[in-house]
This record gives sequence, C-alpha cells and structure tokens, in this order.
Amino acid sequence: MSDEHQHSPAQPSEAPLHGLLAEYDRPEQVLAAAKKIRDAGFTKWDTFTPFPVHGIDEAMGIKMTILPWFTLCAGLTGLGGAILLQWWTNAYDYPWLIAGKPMWSVPANVPIMFELTVLLSAITTLVGMLMLNNLPLPSHPLDHVRRFAKVSDDKFFLLIEASDPKFDDADTRALLNGTHPAAIEAVFEDRITVDKLPTGLVYGLIIVAVMAVVPFALAAKARYTKSSGTRIHIIQDMDSQPKYKAQRENPFFADNRATRPAIDGTVAVGDAREDDHFYKGKQGDAWARTFPSEITLSEATMDRGRQRFGIYCTPCHGQAGLGDGMVAKRADSLAQGSWIPPTNITQDYLRQMPVGQLFSEISNAVRNMPAYGPQIKTEDRWAIIMYVRALQRSKSGNVNDLPPDARASLK
Amino acid sequence: MATSKAKSGSTGKEPSGSASNGGGHGSGGGHGSSSGSSDNLRLAEVGQSLFVKAAGVGVAALALSAFLGAGEHDNWVRFSHSYLVAFVWMMTICGGAIWWITIQNIVNSHWSLVLRRVGELIASNVLVMALLALPIVLPLILGNPAVYKWADSAQMLADETLKHKLGYLNTKFFAIRFVFYFGFWFWLSHYFLNKSVGQDTEKTDGSKTVVAMRRTAGPAMIVFALTITFFAFDLIMSADPKWFSTMFGVYYFASCVLAINSTLALTLMWLQKKGILKTSVTVHHFHDLGKMIFAFTIFWAYVGFSQFMLIWYANIPEETLWFKVRFVNSWGTLAWVLLFCHFVIPFFGLLSRHVKRNRKTLAFWAIWQLVMIYLDMYWLIMPTLGVDEVPFKLIDLTTWLGVLAIFVAGWAYRAQKVQLLATNDPRLPKSLAFENI
Repeated sequence: MSDEHQHSPAQPSEAPLHGLLAEYDRPEQVLAAAKKIRDAGFTKWDTFTPFPVHGIDEAMGIKMTILPWFTLCAGLTGLGGAILLQWWTNAYDYPWLIAGKPMWSVPANVPIMFELTVLLSAITTLVGMLMLNNLPLPSHPLDHVRRFAKVSDDKFFLLIEASDPKFDDADTRALLNGTHPAAIEAVFEDRITVDKLPTGLVYGLIIVAVMAVVPFALAAKARYTKSSGTRIHIIQDMDSQPKYKAQRENPFFADNRATRPAIDGTVAVGDAREDDHFYKGKQGDAWARTFPSEITLSEATMDRGRQRFGIYCTPCHGQAGLGDGMVAKRADSLAQGSWIPPTNITQDYLRQMPVGQLFSEISNAVRNMPAYGPQIKTEDRWAIIMYVRALQRSKSGNVNDLPPDARASLK
Repeated sequence: MATSKAKSGSTGKEPSGSASNGGGHGSGGGHGSSSGSSDNLRLAEVGQSLFVKAAGVGVAALALSAFLGAGEHDNWVRFSHSYLVAFVWMMTICGGAIWWITIQNIVNSHWSLVLRRVGELIASNVLVMALLALPIVLPLILGNPAVYKWADSAQMLADETLKHKLGYLNTKFFAIRFVFYFGFWFWLSHYFLNKSVGQDTEKTDGSKTVVAMRRTAGPAMIVFALTITFFAFDLIMSADPKWFSTMFGVYYFASCVLAINSTLALTLMWLQKKGILKTSVTVHHFHDLGKMIFAFTIFWAYVGFSQFMLIWYANIPEETLWFKVRFVNSWGTLAWVLLFCHFVIPFFGLLSRHVKRNRKTLAFWAIWQLVMIYLDMYWLIMPTLGVDEVPFKLIDLTTWLGVLAIFVAGWAYRAQKVQLLATNDPRLPKSLAFENI
C-alpha cells in the first residue's frame, strides 16, 4: 500500500472516523467474529480475506444477490428487442422479399433473438455485478492503513463502519475485543486523495467529447448535401485500375473515346450472317414458308423444340400454347386491369402465318412480347417454331390424322 | 444465503444432506475421508424386489405388445415402429450413461463422484439393450422391411437416388455396424464398471485406477461419438432413407445427455427414498444435475433448431420433405408441443435455483423431460408409417413400459452385486463435501 500516506496520530483531528478494523490470524477467527457482529445487528460492515473462506456468506448474513433478476430482465429485453427489430425492419418498415420466405420469418429471426438475449444478459450481468459491488472504487480509507497490506498475504480483517446506526466508539470496540483479534485499529476517512476529478482531466474529456462529434457531423454533411467534388472513396480496393473501360475517355484516339466503332466494311469472324433464310426467316423479300436447310426436320429437333418451348415460352403461353401460362394466370388473379393476355398460338391466323414471319416475331419482339433472339440460339428458335407447328396441328386435326389403331378407340 | 431455508427433502423425515447443518464447513465437512460412514451403500432386498417386479412387468408388457402387434395384421409394421420408438428412447438413457461416465473421467470431475457408480450401472446394461434390440434387428437382417425400406435391396436398386446408398444401407453392413456399436459399448461400460468396482478393494488409495480410467476415456470418447452418431443414423434417420442430415447424430446425442441427467436425478431420489446413499448425495449434487438438465434442454433446442433452420432456409425439396411430413395435421401440433414443452416451458421452469434444489420440482422436470424425449422420438420415427395423424395407441404405451421395465430389471440385477458408492476413490471427500451456491 502507499507508504507515503502513512497514517499519523495528528490526523484524528482532521479526518473523521471511518470505522474500526480488527485483524485476525486464522480464517476460523474471522468467521466466528463475523457471526458475532451479524448477530449484534450491524449492517455496515465487511470482512476481508486473502482467499474465499467457506461459509463466510452465511456467517455474515449476506442475502442472495438480486443480480439474477437483472439478468432475467435484460435477457427478456434482448429477446423482445430482437423480435421488434427484425419485425419492424423486415415486415413493416421496409417489406422485402428474401428467398421467397414470409415477410416476417420467425425461423430466420431466431439467431438474432438468441444472440441479443445472450448479449444483453451477459453485459448486464457483468456491469450489474460491478455496480452492486460499488466498483470501480478508485480509493478506500483502508488503502492508507499499513497493516491492511497483509490482506493479500496471510491476515484476515473485519471492518465496522462508523456510519452504522449501532456503532458506538466504546461498545463496538469492546465487542470486537471479545472476538480476540490480533489487533484493533481505528480507520479514518481518506482526506488525502482528492475526491474530485482534476480540472485538467475534465477539460481534456470535454475537448475529446466535442472532437468526437466531428467525424459524425462530417459524415452527416457528406450524406445530406450536394458536392461537385469527387466522392470520398475510403476503401480503394482495386476500384481505380489503369485501364480503359467502355464509355470512358481515351485521349489516345482523335474522338477521345475508349470505345472504338466497328471498322467500315468489315465483319467479325463467324458474324457474317449471310443466310437470310436461316437468320431472318426471309427468302428474298417474302417471309420464308419452309424451314431453312440448316435445320433437320427430325424427331430430335422436334424434341429439342419441345424442351426449349417448355423453358422459354410456357410461362406466358402455357404448355399447350393456349395463352394460359403461369404468368397469365397470376395476372388474371391479380386483376389489375392493365394486363394484355398472351396470344393463343393455335389460332387460325397464326397457323397460316409463314414460319419465317413467326421466326422473326419471336426473334425481334412483337407487341408486348420481348425479343428472344438474344436469349435463344438460332437453331433452337427454329426448333421451337417446329414444335409450335406441332401444337397448332394438334388443335386443328381431324380423325384421319390418327393412325388406324387409335381411330378405333374414338368410336 | 438461503441455505438455512433449504428445503431439500420431500421425505422430510430424515435430514438430507449437509445443507441443513448451517452450510458445509471448509475442512471436508462432517464426512471426513471415509464414505458417508453411516450411509447404506447396498441395494440388497430392495434390489431383489425391484428386479422381480420389473422383470414381471416387463415380460407382461412385451407379451401384451406382441399380442396387440399381431392383432394389427400388418406384418408387424405397427409393432416395429412402436417398439423402435421405445427402444431408441431407452437407448438415450443407456447411451447417455456411457457418455456420462466417459466424460466424468476425462475431465477428472470431483462433484459427480458420488453418482458415478450408479451411472456406471446404468451404462453397463448394454447387453440387455442388445437383447432388446433383437425385435428390430433380427427381422431386418432377415430381410423384413417393417420399418426400414432399404432392407429390400431390389426396391432400392429401382430407385434413382437410393441405389447409390446401397453400399451403406444394406443388411449385411448394418449387422456389422450394429455388432460394432454394441460390442464397443459393452466393452467400454464394463471396462469402467469393473475398474471402478476393483478400485473399491484396491490396496492403495485408488489413484492408479483414476489414471487408468482417464487414459482410456479420452480415445474412448472419440469412438463413442462415432458410434452414437451412426447408431442414430442407422436406426432412426434411415427410416426415411432418402433424407439425410449430418446434424442428426448430435441431435440424438443431445437427447442422450438430457436423458441421463434426468435419470440420474430420479434414480438417486428413488434410492434415497429407500434409505440408500441418504447422506452422500446432497442437495448440491441434485442442484448440479438440475443445471445440466437446464443446460441440455437449451442444447437440444439449439441443435434441433440448427438442423431445422438450414433446411428451412435452403428450401430444397429433397431435404424439406422430411419436415413437411412432420408438420401436417396433428404431427404439426406435436411439433409445436415439442418446441414449447421440450424447450420453452422447461427453460423458464428450470431457471430458478430454488426449483433445482427442491426435490419435488426437480423430479417433476426430470420426468417431464423424459416424457418429452419420448415424444421427440415418436415424432422422429412414427411418420414413416405413412399416416397423416398422430396414431397414439395402447401398443405404444405397452412397448415403452416393457422396454423400460426390462432395462430396470437388468439394472437392479447387476446393482445388487456391487456397492453403490466408489468409496476408495481419492476424490470422494471433495465430492461428499461438494457445495453449490
């Protein structure tokens, strides 16, 4: 302990009595003494031991702590807070579909619920424990008592504070004497350590607190005002690379553009699409009425067409091409009034439309249908047309189209 | 401090534990270094009468189950399912006991020493369990797919997914694994029991046995983890051979720990009621068992939810079907019951230290959780019957009672032969003087 603050006899006139300290050599002694003090009805007193002494809580009459109740309340607060946070953000304030789950997905919320329960409980328990123990305690009158240094070695102490209602200088001393201590010493209030924070420290803290606001203020300013300067880009990563991207400037070229136009009169290798029949569905100026030679009219192509139709066309047009796909059905159920239904591709006018025109319409978009040219390979588009013809045929056949043995089942 | 108000005895007549003597004293309490000296450590006639009664009840219940099972006229399918639920429920206790004695040895636990012999006796009932397994395993090996569709390998080959699992899910490999699990468990539990009983009469202070058991416990735990995991896979998870979850072994293990802690609490309470180990096992030990029940209630929920949430989130039909089947109609009600009654309610119920230190309330929650574990196993297995509603029937009760009674009979038979406290263990004084705030 601090040698320079040695207790001197002159102090009693300066500092009031804090309490009486009794010293013991053995744990049984402090235990017995504690029982006596407890039974005498004192409330402001404590024992100090180098190691935990078995049974001291009971000897001192220390009641069970209320800390578990803090923890329970904190835990429930954490749980409720987590539920509220997730419900509010995901289901109420900004409803956002994630992975097709319900807006308020309790299973997805459970990890956060668990985490906040545990977090608040743990922090509350720690802080609560410190607070209930009056910690941190920067200074105590016992710090200035020389013999008290032995509490971390091999001596046991008992202190009764003068502020206890039952405290009487003489009687209490007599009571302590009855417990046969090795020594009794008067402890005085600590008048040496300053109990106010140093002014320098206070000013320092104020300055730091004010300065701490500055980054937040700057961030708020940057967020809510306009600026013509470049963006503040803190984490650079590999964002500004020494290369030219499309739509950027490149002073190397006369037109200052990084994007270079195609050179006149050239075509990239593989891009020479000379076969109008195959690529455009046209023969001369007229729509092609036959399939191009690149397409083999076989069962394999038909199967491919069926498969591709199933992938790209059925959402709107339905499995049989009647215009009753899932998207159409959903739009019908929503009944918002602005829906134009997909075409029934088995209608007469489409049956009579040349394959080339059909090809062009699906490749380049028609009315509300988007262009599928970019999405589907040319061969596959022709295969789809082949399948469309089959669907159209299926809705317009007569009994003579059936093989003879199947005809019998209809009769 | 509440020690002076400790109400630890439902029996009330005799002072139970040191708690009522104004708090345990630092120097090893009033028990000194010998065993709870005046304590009765032997089962004697109590054990014999228990053995006879339990054996009688067990045989009668199983016979009734067989009769009811035959009456279903479904080639023993309903019986097998019901019996399997009872069997795996019993195995949570037996397997949990094997785990328990292993872990106590690994961590050199002192507090649990007074309970160790009882735990060892529960664990070494493996032979009885192996015999009890026969109504499930024998038909399976003979090719009857009463519960396990994969027993019919022709059907497996026909299925696109299942044929790849044939290398694992076939009766021959299953038999080998089964023999391995029970062989290992038999060996391990008897190793610990024999070493422990040998320690009682050891000339020295028993510390050599402690070291030997600890040395074995380490590697044994690894093998145990594997065996219990694959046991759960083989007997429960494979009932729906298309579904899989790597977490399933841990899920079953969580129930095992919960089961053994509950069972130990109940067993010791029963023994004390019969005047055995009355002062050796105190309110402090029960308190710790209660803490374990509390902790592993949470752990069970944690593991179960982890398994559920990942499958729920990914929403892959291959995995979700298993849960979907268990969420329809009354299966769904049972699932909610499990959530609230196996986790939420016991969580709050077991929070208070007073609940854990009171015999009646602790017994209540221990029995409650054992019942919940049974419902859990029921919910895991029964839906493979292919029914839409929970089909509780008398046969479920009789199979459960039969399996439990036979197990208890086996325990009582062996427990009569040894003393129920490890008196020569050097750590015993600490265990007897154990204090829990």
